[in-house]
This record gives sequence, C-alpha cells and structure tokens, in this order.
Amino acid sequence: MDFLGFLVTQCLNALSQAALLFFLGVGLTLIFGIMRIVNFAHGAFFMLGAYVGYSAVYVTGSFWAALIAAPLLVGAFGAIFELGILRSLYKRDHSAFLMVTFGLTLIMGEAIRLLWGVAALDVPTPKSLSGIVFILDEPFPIYRLFLIGAGIVVAIAIWQFLERTRLGLLIRATSQNAEMVHALGTDVRLVRSAVFGIGCGLAGIGGVFAAPLVTASLGMAPNAVIDTFVIVIIGGMGSFAGSLIGALLVAFVQVFGTYYFPDLALALMYLLMLTVLVIRPGGLLGKEA
Amino acid sequence: MTIKGTSLLLLPVCLLAIAPAGLPPYAMTLLTEALILGLFAMSLDLMVGYTRLLSFGHAAAYGLGAYAVGNLLLHTAIPLVFAIPLAALFSGIVAIGVAWVCTLASGVSFSMLTLAFAQLLYAVAFKWIAVTGASDGLAGIPRSPGPFGITFFQSRSGFYYLVLACLLAAFLFCRSLVQSPFGAVLRGIRENEAKTLSLGYNTRRYKIAVVAISFTLGGLAGALYAPFAGFTNTELLFWLFSGQVLIMVIVGGAGTLIGPIIGAAFFMLVSNLLSSWTDSWALFFGAIFILFVLFAPQGIWGLATRWRSLSSTG
Amino acid sequence: MALLELDGLTRRFGGIVAVDGVTMRVATGEVRAVIGPNGAGKSTLFNLITGVIKPTTGTVRFADEVLTGLSAYSVCQRGISRTFQITALFPQMTARENVRLSAQARHARRWQPWGGDAVFAGAEARADVALERLGLIHVAQRPAGLLSHGDQRLLEVAMALAQQPRLLLLDEPTQGLSVEETEQAVETLSALLADGSMTVLLVEHDMEVVFRLAHGITVLHRGAVIADGTPEEVRANEGVQRAYLGGLA
Repeated sequence: MDFLGFLVTQCLNALSQAALLFFLGVGLTLIFGIMRIVNFAHGAFFMLGAYVGYSAVYVTGSFWAALIAAPLLVGAFGAIFELGILRSLYKRDHSAFLMVTFGLTLIMGEAIRLLWGVAALDVPTPKSLSGIVFILDEPFPIYRLFLIGAGIVVAIAIWQFLERTRLGLLIRATSQNAEMVHALGTDVRLVRSAVFGIGCGLAGIGGVFAAPLVTASLGMAPNAVIDTFVIVIIGGMGSFAGSLIGALLVAFVQVFGTYYFPDLALALMYLLMLTVLVIRPGGLLGKEA
Repeated sequence: MTIKGTSLLLLPVCLLAIAPAGLPPYAMTLLTEALILGLFAMSLDLMVGYTRLLSFGHAAAYGLGAYAVGNLLLHTAIPLVFAIPLAALFSGIVAIGVAWVCTLASGVSFSMLTLAFAQLLYAVAFKWIAVTGASDGLAGIPRSPGPFGITFFQSRSGFYYLVLACLLAAFLFCRSLVQSPFGAVLRGIRENEAKTLSLGYNTRRYKIAVVAISFTLGGLAGALYAPFAGFTNTELLFWLFSGQVLIMVIVGGAGTLIGPIIGAAFFMLVSNLLSSWTDSWALFFGAIFILFVLFAPQGIWGLATRWRSLSSTG
Repeated sequence: MALLELDGLTRRFGGIVAVDGVTMRVATGEVRAVIGPNGAGKSTLFNLITGVIKPTTGTVRFADEVLTGLSAYSVCQRGISRTFQITALFPQMTARENVRLSAQARHARRWQPWGGDAVFAGAEARADVALERLGLIHVAQRPAGLLSHGDQRLLEVAMALAQQPRLLLLDEPTQGLSVEETEQAVETLSALLADGSMTVLLVEHDMEVVFRLAHGITVLHRGAVIADGTPEEVRANEGVQRAYLGGLA
C-alpha cells in the first residue's frame, strides 16, 4: 500500500467522519447560540435517530424514506420536550438545564432499550450506495463518499437557511439580541422551540447516516455528547462555521489518531478537549465571550 | 449544629447500631450497601451541593477506590482495615491531578470534563487486564484479616460495623468541614464565584481541594464496596453509575449532607421494589430526577426540613 | 511616591482601544474621581488595575510594587478592594455573613478546614464595624438578596471596607439609587472619607456626588485622559466641556 493512497483514503475517511460530526455539532451549536445552554441529551437524540431510522427502513424498505422520517420525528420529539419541560428552566441557572437533559438521556436510553432491545442495529447500506470504489488503487466505500457529499449539501442548506429564510434570520437575530426580537413582535419562545427541534432533528439525521456504519450501544450517548462538546468548543459555541472547523479537526484527530494509537481513541478526545480548554481557558467562547 | 439537631441524629444512629441484632441477613446486606452508597452520595454533595461543581463522572472516584483496594487485597497481605483507607487516599491523590485539569474550566465545561475523565477511566479499565481484569473485573476479593489477627471485620455484621463507622466518621468530618472557614469559602464560590475571587480568594485552589476530598470519600465508598461484594468490574466506572449517584444527591437534597444519604436509601429501596416488576430503573429514576429538578430542587430532605419548620411555627 | 501609579496603560479589544495610554498618579489619602461619558473606558480601567483583565501595554504600580499581570485575587491580597458597577453579592447569605466572608479573606487562617471559631469571631467583629460605619447594622441579619437596592450598594462598600484596604475602588456606588438613597449614600461616604485615611478611586456619573467627595478628578474620553486636576480646574476645562456636550453620542 503506497503512502499517497493511504493518505488520501484516510483523509476521505476523516472527511466522512467529519460529516457525521458536523451534523451533531451544528445542532448543538445552534441550540447553544439561541438558548445559551448545552443540551446534554444531544447524543441521545443522535442515538434515537439511528434507531428510528432503522425502524423506518424496516417498515418502508427505503433508506431515503428513513432519512426524511427520522429527523422529522426526532426533531418533533425534541421540540415537544422543550415546550413542555425545558421552557420553565430558562430563568434558573445552567446546572438545572444540564441535569434535566441528563435525566432525559437516561430516559431516552432506557426507552430505546425497551423499544428496540439490546441487540446491535443492523441497518444495511442502501443498495445504490453500497460497494466500493478504487481511489489511487485503494478500496474505499461508496457510502462514505456519499456521506461527504451529504455533509456538504446539508452544510450549504443550513447556511442558506440561516442567511436567506425568515426563520433563519429570526434565529440569527435572537441569538444576538433576544429582547429586541421580542420587542419587534416575535414570540421568542417559538423560535427557541423551533431551534431546539431543528438541533435535535440534525442530531437525528446524523444518527440515520451513521446507522449503517456503527453498532449502537448504551455508551454511545455520553461519548457522542463529549465529541460534540469538543467540536463546539473548538469552533466556538454558537458559531456555524466554527462547528464545521471543529468537526473537521476532531475527525482528523480521531481517524489518524486511531490509526497510529488504536487503543487511545477516547484518551485522544480527552486530550484534545483539554488542549482546547487550555488555549481558550474560558471554554465557551464564540458567542459566549 | 444545635443540641436539638445532634440529638435528632442520635436516634437513627442508635437504630443503625443495633440493626444486626434484629434484621435478617438479606436485609443486612441491603442496609450495608445502602450505607456505602450513602457515603458515596454524601461525598458528591461536597462538590455539587456545597460548591456547585456539577460532576457527571463521580463514578471515577468509586472505581478508583474499588480497583485500588481490590489490587491491594488480592496481591498483598495488607489487612482490610489498612487497605481501605489506603485505597481512598489513592483516589484522592489521583483526584488532585484530575481536579487541576478540570478546574481549568468552569460551568458546563467543567462538567463535561468530569464526564470525559470518567469515560477515559472506564475505557482504560476495560482494556488494562493486568490491573483491572478488563471486562471481567476482579473477583474473589478477600476481606484480609489483621492486624494482630483480628477477624471481626470479616463477618457480615463485623463488616457492617466497619461501614457504619466509616460513614459516621465521614459525616462528622464533612460537617466540620462545611462549618469551617474553608466551608464558608465554598459557600461563597457556590453563590458567586466571581465575587469570591475578587475578595482575594484563590478559588481554584479551593475547588481542587474540595474535589480531592470528595474523591477521597467517594474512593472510601468504593473501597468498602469491593470487599463487601467480593468483586469489582467496569460497571462501577460506567456513566450510568455517575448518573445514579447524582440523582441520589439531588433527590435526597443537595447541600445538606444528610439529604444524599437519604437519597441513597430512597434509591435502593425504590430500585429494589421496582426490580420485581421491571429493570428499567433508568426510565423511572430519570423521570423522578427531572421532576425533582423542576419542582422540588431542595430534595426530600429539603422538603422535610421545610415542612418541619413550617409546622413548628404554625 | 504616589500610592497608585498608572503608566501608559492601554487595552485593546480587537480593533477597539478601550483604554488609551492612561497615565495617572493617586496620592495616599486622596479621593480621586474618574469621570467620562459612557464608553470612556472607566470600568475597563478598574478591571485593568484589579487584574481582572491584562493590559495590552503599560504598567500598574501600587506602593512601588508592580501589579500588572497579577491575577485578581492576588491584587486584592495586596490591599486593593473594589465594588462593582453591577451589584455583586452573595444573595442568600445574610448581610453580616457577606461582610464576614469578605473580612475572612484577610485572615491568615482563612482556609482552615476545621473549627474556625477564632477566625469567624475576628472576621465578624470587623464585619460589624464596617456595617456600623455604613449604617447597615440594623439589617445585618437579613439575606442580602432581600435588601433594598440602596442598601445593597452600601453593603458592597461595607464588604470592601471590611478588608481594611489601602486602596478602595468604588465603581459607580450611587448607580440605580433614588434621590434619597443617593443623598444618604453620599452622607455616609462623606463621613467615611472625612478623616483622610482612605485612598479612594471613584467612578461616578453623578457630578454632584463627585464634587462633594473628590479631591481630584481625572476625565477620560474614548479611553484617554483629557483632563486631570482639582474639581475647579476640571470644571473650567474646555476640552472636558466639549467631551461631555459633544460626546453624548
């Protein structure tokens, strides 16, 4: 295996990983930008997306249907939870929020286990995307290339959504000055619910995309939320572009790190988080500073 | 603490002291485990309740203590009564390093770092066969006798008294700590850390200290558990366990020392009752946790003391 | 040698110069007011002096010791105590407990993890003295969060005073106070500063308060010092008049 081929393959690997991480990161950063809170349950929504996607494929036989249904359902669930429960917490301090979303993680994890059982998910790669392609004489799964493409498409879609649609404008405005937006007549609470739903939906769609690649487990939720947290810290909480950069950085560290130090994946994440926090000691910069 | 307050504690302590005489073995086992968990929860209260350092990774303290004592008891002849405090000390010392890192951040970042560290420890324990037995854990942990040939603590009731003594000692220590000048600074950090800093306190040092103490006591609980159960495994480091102890603290009543002990007892009681129907404790306790955070953040003990003071003035 | 010496103190935030080459001398026993339109850099100046933020360039010297680069708690330990523009207290502790914690910070055994009767007794004695001087002894047992706004502002001053600082920094002590509360506060502060033993740096918007309390005034505009002298000199200064009239943007 020649080095260039290896390098390119691993880079593509990292890019596909970055796409997955981006789905997670952009959702969390959007939520933080509006609500100034960290959604501990973000990893659980990711997990839920994977399982709902699995069921959608099972029922409809179509991966594409799952790609649409899962984020909608997951996002709706998120929005309802925000409406019902999180709303009353805004006046309280941040630890209350963290604790409630932690409780939600427990509930969701258990609910998933009850509904779907503990056996590993088996979501087959859709036929049109399975198989491999040769890049510089190295085999590379087509599905991962698809992921990279999907990541780019979603990134552009979100960017355009934020820049050009009315809701996107409201979201950006609310993240900068919620009172002003309220004074101008918009119900900020609705914007918040919408954003929470969208953020969770993005995590959910990440789960669907990830489903053919990973085996889900109970440890998925906290690890996913740690990964996501690292991404948004790197990029700056509340920053869309930041979540892109963060996702890329984390993905490359993970992919190349696991290649060279296979047992230390988690340690690398921890180390990365530490380094970032030391360089940016406040931790939550970006919108927070 | 007032005379009335101290005498209020005397009754439950006496009851606990004579428990082995009246309770059947199955109940004694549950009670011993409840006291161990009570100690564990109380140790977390120092961080969460008194300093508002929200940790999602306190299982790390427990696991460190459990694995340390497991190794000591399995591979050396150190008596039980020495191995346990040594293991607790080990946990506390590791905590200094962990705390030094985690306190580089504050707020949410701090909490995420505690989670990350516990996850890291879990991952390490999963792989490091030599020290932790990997996913099988350590089994057959003996309650080593001594010194001077004492075998009292090897029996069921003997071990129970050891646990009870540790809990009482830890409680008195914690109570003294929170009422001391050090405790007053912790309270300042809890209510307004920026102000405390501006008053001239090096708040980071205090935070590191309280995390180390919290880990020492949490490690003590873990070190009691391993010889109690006879084994340790990676479940003791799993994030769900960190969640359980956090729930015990909040539901029991954070910032009261007694509340978390009650929370632990409540947790054990309910999960035992629940287990005859279902093993979905996470669902149930997740919901209870959320309900308490939303509607009764002062916890069971907080509600009880408020009800007591209301009815005494009425 | 002045007690506080600022030399070319500058702080930039990206493209904005919040504090621009400020050079100042505050003598022991002086009450110096720092005034200027909104955004003139007054609070940033306080934050630079107390170590909350680090300067881009320039130095802060206190009693001939370099303060620049020290952390906020170290600066405080050197004998500088301050109040904040936005009231910062411990709302669930009583007023007395608030001031006691502040006084405790000066005790050698403030960190003691057991007992503490001696530490608390000493701190409480100093706390009560400070509460008396600020006229707050009658609300000593009330939770700080339940005090009136005026009393809360004074409580902050009491907390700073209880540390027996060599330099006291007051950041808009009368902000948000009603006319009566302001009058009462000025009376209290006036009595406090009457014996000339305290060195004070005072940020104030209310010019009446400034003229009643201050020996000297430094005027900031867009981060730079545009005037520095006695109240009469500053009142007559044309540049100051322009800044206040023209700079009300």
